[in-house]
Amino acid sequence: MSGDGALAQERVAVGQSIPEICIAITLQRLVMEAGANRDFSLIHHDRQIAVSTGASDAFANTFFLMGMFERSVREWLGPRAMIRKIGPLRMMNFNTVGDTLYFRGEVTGVQQGSQETLLDLLLWCDSERGRTTTCEVRVQCD
Amino acid sequence: MSDLSWGLWGSWEETQACLGEVVGQWQGPDPVERGSIRRWLESKEFGAAAIHVDQQAAREAGYSDLVAPVSMVFSYGIKSYWSPGDPPQSLADEPTQIQIPVIFNVPAPCNKSFATMIEAEFFAPLYPGDSVNCTSRLVDIKRKTLKVGDGAFLRQQDTYVKQTGETVAVAHLDIFRFYAVAGEYADVR
Repeated sequence: MSGDGALAQERVAVGQSIPEICIAITLQRLVMEAGANRDFSLIHHDRQIAVSTGASDAFANTFFLMGMFERSVREWLGPRAMIRKIGPLRMMNFNTVGDTLYFRGEVTGVQQGSQETLLDLLLWCDSERGRTTTCEVRVQCD
Repeated sequence: MSDLSWGLWGSWEETQACLGEVVGQWQGPDPVERGSIRRWLESKEFGAAAIHVDQQAAREAGYSDLVAPVSMVFSYGIKSYWSPGDPPQSLADEPTQIQIPVIFNVPAPCNKSFATMIEAEFFAPLYPGDSVNCTSRLVDIKRKTLKVGDGAFLRQQDTYVKQTGETVAVAHLDIFRFYAVAGEYADVR
């Protein structure tokens, strides 16, 4: 199903699951991510500062989570899908060093137009500590 | 434990006076280019990325060139942490934080903050060579007392525009700013 947006959207129906992806959160990954997304807030790479805010360790930032939700959608729907909206993205718990994050989702709406199809998706991120993040995404397909 | 605190200090009346105002505006320092895209993909193990790394694949998908992932607009819109002419940082200085205007440019009687929600709509692709500027407004204030302390949700609207004048994205970010007493940071979320 992944890799071909046209093929994917023909088959899409409300309630359909979005394939799971996962990623391990290490301090090295958070440092790589900070360099890549330019958010150098200390809570995302400095354990001592992160702990002072109530987290158990340095934790992933909003940009990383948005990017992972974008990866979920892109891997599933392929290159022709146009991501129109990401969010609301709500953070309910920390995603910290030592967590393995599982990104999953489902289709919540399909609007078939004459030229294009709009898909509404609800995605979420789970870890050993439960659901940490939810995110809605709107995608336009040919 | 660190006692680091951050944010511009002031009264709630001063916070209210910023409602609807532009509270931040700057030019992203770097244009879109392949290297920054590759590094952004790398840290996410983002493999199905043909339109982001392969010009031909992007053209076959309807773009005029390879495109940056939509979420990268935030990174291209972040102001530089240091520029020629700025003073050198000393060890005694507080670390430079990411520029979030509703924290650092809007006064409030708060010493801690965290983000609770972000959403963004995307209107135009970012191609190699594009650069963006960002204009931030404070568009909502909701006073609230949570377990972590008394504060307010401040909503920041960020509009990203590229050099052609096209709006690339409009984002809304909710930040809860609050006054926290040391040792009361548990159960923040």
